[in-house]
Amino acid sequence: MQRRDFFKLSLATSTLVLATSNAAATTRQPIDSRKVSTHTFPEKRPLITYSDRPPLLETPRDAFTRAITPNDELFVRWHMPKIPTAINMERYYINVHGEVKERLYLTVDALKKEFEQVEVTVAMQCGGNSRSAFVPTTSGIQWGSGAMGCSKYKGVRLKDVLAKAGLTDDSVWITLNGGDEAVMKKIESFKRELKISEITDDTIIAYEQNEEELPFLNGYPVRLIIPGFYADSWVKQLSNIDVTKEYKNYYYMDTAYRVPDNETESETPEHHANKTKPLELMNVKSYIGYPTSLSQVHAKAHLTIKGIAFDEGKGIKEVLISLDKGKTWERATLAEELSKYAFRVFSYKMKPMNKGKLTILAKAVNNAGQEQPFAHEIQWNHGGYKYNGIDSVTVDVI
Amino acid sequence: MKKIIFILLMATLSLQAVYTEKVKMTSITFVIPSDENTIVMQRNCQWCHSYGYILNQGKQSKEFWNKVVVKMRDVYKAPITPRDELLATEYLYKHFGNKKEK
Repeated sequence: MQRRDFFKLSLATSTLVLATSNAAATTRQPIDSRKVSTHTFPEKRPLITYSDRPPLLETPRDAFTRAITPNDELFVRWHMPKIPTAINMERYYINVHGEVKERLYLTVDALKKEFEQVEVTVAMQCGGNSRSAFVPTTSGIQWGSGAMGCSKYKGVRLKDVLAKAGLTDDSVWITLNGGDEAVMKKIESFKRELKISEITDDTIIAYEQNEEELPFLNGYPVRLIIPGFYADSWVKQLSNIDVTKEYKNYYYMDTAYRVPDNETESETPEHHANKTKPLELMNVKSYIGYPTSLSQVHAKAHLTIKGIAFDEGKGIKEVLISLDKGKTWERATLAEELSKYAFRVFSYKMKPMNKGKLTILAKAVNNAGQEQPFAHEIQWNHGGYKYNGIDSVTVDVI
Repeated sequence: MKKIIFILLMATLSLQAVYTEKVKMTSITFVIPSDENTIVMQRNCQWCHSYGYILNQGKQSKEFWNKVVVKMRDVYKAPITPRDELLATEYLYKHFGNKKEK
């Protein structure tokens, strides 16, 4: 055998091996059949409920026809079982300390009075949203696609707070944590880190969500908002900002909430990637809010398909609809852009002529030209993160 | 009219008081199958999470469930003894298994 042939053969073999191991891992449409619970949580309407302790609540599909998700419909995800259930506002403060010139104890009142107030309308999404798309099952809650929402937040810039404390020349990182605290001392609480140089003007400490106080389950009284990023660093009940010289190692930074650091951000169930990176910017995604598989759709009657699309903040260029399983695509109408980070509502008018099954696909394209892949084109990762497949809804036309 | 004002006033007051009063969290009983090892689940899992976490994972292999149990011990510091590690894995595989070892 020639040397070149050997290479060809070994390449073919390794491709085969890769293909075989990939064949074991597949990606499909996330689970879409879960019903809302008969239980309700404080300030929430009945939502899809995975756990009460810690509370894990998902927004059902039919909420995603509007740019703003009502506060009582916004998803809930805590990590630890012990949530503070009473907040004494007189004693509540954010402690800013570490590599700062002046240690700050900021009450919510001080935030409102001593800093410039800013507003941002922004989509929030759990990194594991749509995780049930990944087969074999990956670690974590098997979310459908409702671990996301969009709200208008009011608060103060994190940069302004850090500037008030005065950063020392050695400051490089901040550690953030809040009310998501572990049940036992030896368990690490939910802590996240941000590099100071990467904090933008849009990153705020918010105390209002859709012109109301933050719902208790969404982090009352204050939470961090990082537009464009997955919500894992949007610390709830924010109470501690520790400015540090060096990166510290935390479980929720270094083990959880990471994806393979390769071009396709993928790996196989047998061989997890050695090199990983934290979840950061959200990829482009769209989701159909109407019709749902439970909607009554009539033949020869007008139907307006509605949904939302968003991305990391490059902005949505177009949403395309296909009624023939992706062979042809037509452009949906986009509603006003509330902000480059917000849900953008799309609608598409049609008239189904025949009775029977109708499958609707929606695909978003952002201003950078990035578009959603088909579900089956998305490759597996063991955390079940960043699923953004083309959405598909099948309805019975009667 | 006075009555209406009073009701509105009370509603406003109770809204403002919602967080200084203790928020009453919803408690849900997630039912898992009962057998001789249910007690192992009771004494190890519920410190930190409801059984909702277990019910949400679908049918899985024995290896999957063992990895979950070990993660709870190593990462989340659940005080799971070696014996309970085996029993919990067996319980989970028996009721939520897919008939595959791996």
